[in-house]
Amino acid sequence: MMEPAAYLLLSGILFGIGVVGVVARKNALIILMSVEIMLNGVNVAFIAVGSHLGDVTGSVFAFMVMTVAAAEAAVGLAILIAIYRLKETIDITELNVLKW
Amino acid sequence: MSPIPIDAAALLTGLRCILPEILVVATAIFVLFVDLMIPEENKRILCGISLIGVVISLFSVFLLGPARISGFSGAVVHDGLGAFFEIVILAACALTLLMATGYSEWEGTHKGEFYSLLLLSTSGMMFMAKGTDLMTVFLGLETLSIPIYVLVGFHRHRMSSIEGALKYFLLGAFASGFFLYGVALMYAATGTTKIPALAAMLLDARLAANPVFLAGVGLLLVGLAFKVSLVPFHMWTPDAYEGAPTVVTAFMSAAVKAAAFAALIRVLLLTFGGLQPVMWKVLWALSVLTMTVGNLSALLQDNVKRMLAYSSIAHAGYVLVGLVSGDFLGGQAALFYLLVYAFMNIGAFGVVILIAQKEDEGYDIRNLAGIGFKYPALGAFLTLFLVSLGGIPPTAGFVGKFYLFSAAVKNGYIWLAVLGVLNSAASIYYYLRLVVYMYMVPAEGEMPVPRPSRLAFSAALFASGAAVLLLGIFPGSALDLAARSVLSLLM
Amino acid sequence: MTGPADLIFYFVAALTVASAILVATLPNIIYSAVALLFSFAGVAGLYVFVSADFLAATQVLVYVGGILILILFAVFLSNRISTVKISNPVHFNWQAALLCLALFGVLSYTAVSTKFPVKPGLSYQPTTAEIGELLMTRYLLPFEVASVLLLAALIGAALLSRPEGEKERSADMEEPK
Repeated sequence: MMEPAAYLLLSGILFGIGVVGVVARKNALIILMSVEIMLNGVNVAFIAVGSHLGDVTGSVFAFMVMTVAAAEAAVGLAILIAIYRLKETIDITELNVLKW
Repeated sequence: MSPIPIDAAALLTGLRCILPEILVVATAIFVLFVDLMIPEENKRILCGISLIGVVISLFSVFLLGPARISGFSGAVVHDGLGAFFEIVILAACALTLLMATGYSEWEGTHKGEFYSLLLLSTSGMMFMAKGTDLMTVFLGLETLSIPIYVLVGFHRHRMSSIEGALKYFLLGAFASGFFLYGVALMYAATGTTKIPALAAMLLDARLAANPVFLAGVGLLLVGLAFKVSLVPFHMWTPDAYEGAPTVVTAFMSAAVKAAAFAALIRVLLLTFGGLQPVMWKVLWALSVLTMTVGNLSALLQDNVKRMLAYSSIAHAGYVLVGLVSGDFLGGQAALFYLLVYAFMNIGAFGVVILIAQKEDEGYDIRNLAGIGFKYPALGAFLTLFLVSLGGIPPTAGFVGKFYLFSAAVKNGYIWLAVLGVLNSAASIYYYLRLVVYMYMVPAEGEMPVPRPSRLAFSAALFASGAAVLLLGIFPGSALDLAARSVLSLLM
Repeated sequence: MTGPADLIFYFVAALTVASAILVATLPNIIYSAVALLFSFAGVAGLYVFVSADFLAATQVLVYVGGILILILFAVFLSNRISTVKISNPVHFNWQAALLCLALFGVLSYTAVSTKFPVKPGLSYQPTTAEIGELLMTRYLLPFEVASVLLLAALIGAALLSRPEGEKERSADMEEPK
């Protein structure tokens, strides 16, 4: 068993990589994947802290985060498919009906 | 394995505590079922059913009264603050539904899904406003957001609508990530996610200096700032507001903002004791930035819907002025302003829906030319709402701003109040610009014919107009209600 | 003290982080999706280390079995396989880099500077029963709100992605086969 600080650091790294992905990439799908990485980072923090404290709240919270992540992914992909039907692209720089 | 013991009395208390939410969710599910059974031409009934559900829910809020009921092991609480925001959110939802009857006919949104998503989103907002565990707040936030992402993209054959949905979705999911990481860090520092427990722990000064906890609060603030579109987390707002079906825009600008502010107020007012020295600077800067950027951007817009979107950013900045001091007076003013803002903004969007004949094209400011004299009722309503948004007496917008800025002055944030007043003055320019177009610019060529208003739609406009005037001239009882709500939180 | 368990931990952590970096930087979407698989699996491995058996299983089921499959569906729906150029470059910008550096700095500082109370060694016990019981008691309300949320997501996703109506039928014909 490692120190909880190690897990917190790891979760911070994962979260940061996710943020980089969201900010630096223009493809909506990759942005979505990066958001999932961010959420995974969050879950690592919750579960590691929870299990260190011997408190199940962290696990339950992570469970809820997973539920929400799945729901978000479903809705997000539905939006992407609707966009693709109209425009045949999901590169957000090519979507410029509205200003970005 | 032994069965789980169920505490029936506690469960009943909990159910009583979330009665208004249960009613809204039940209505949403009922609408879905009725939608299956009625023919296409009778879909208007769905709007009526939703409205009845919302009114019953509103009634149940009054029935429960201001008494404090805590339920579900402290996951949720019905207190003055929760009740106040439930009233704001349900009123906004009812006005939206009234306007949706007409709008749905014009734009073809008469679908069971539209109403049930609207109601599910409303229930999420109410959970968010009442949540005392950050887990409830988070789930409320997501239950609020996911239907709104879909509603923004409801006109999926219109590129601007679905694109607004994509941008809102991506940034919303990104913001949720920040919110969650903030909660995770706060949990790491304290071992709890319950807001009252966090507040109690903050009395220990060591926690207030703990970098993990501070980073957590900061990230949580960023997540909520996205939702209330504070500068610099506002970039999704104009696109989502412009692309969305206009009734949805009206709903988002009033209700989503109110719900997110409810959570923000609950967290901020309770944790303020320990964090005040750092927090007020952050909020001060956010508030000034939000007001200024929102107003300056609104000055440049020729599209009325986009202009109202930027102005709604600026209004979030005004509300934040009340939270900088984090005391009773500011909280009261912020609550009152959110109530007033719901009425005046939904009203303004309502008139704009009538004047614009088509989504995407009808929102150019030149479309307003000459409307004022030809259609005096529409002109009068829009003028009233714009005057109130600009903060000119005798409207409710003036009273709201007066209390916000005077709370800032009383707490010694003179410069904040001065900047707020200056911003407010600048905003009058672009609000009155619309009025000038309506009454003083002759129409070029053929004047657009507004949509014939439906009874329900007119009722919504009358209700908002009456609220704006009444709250402007007799603000006493609403201010008392706001005061009691804040007190119920602080006690 | 570095035991074999620690070595495995470092390996899993490195796998997770490396594949996450690949997701965020690889130009080809399909490669990103595959890298995401390894990242999710690595996170599931980390959960095992902190004795979160239930969550590890859920991670595999929900993320690998659900979300990743959804994403792959979207990748294949939105990219014709025949047009091999599924790439899209990484747009580097200074603001993003600065923001991320700042974030990394703050987060790693907070992680390292935290003093956690020292607890007796972790006991590896099954958590599933406890989580299940708490979901029915203490966390009943969040559990129910999550069900409302899933209902909303279900309606919304179906509404946006199903083909319908004469007007939209023609647009649907142009979908990639």
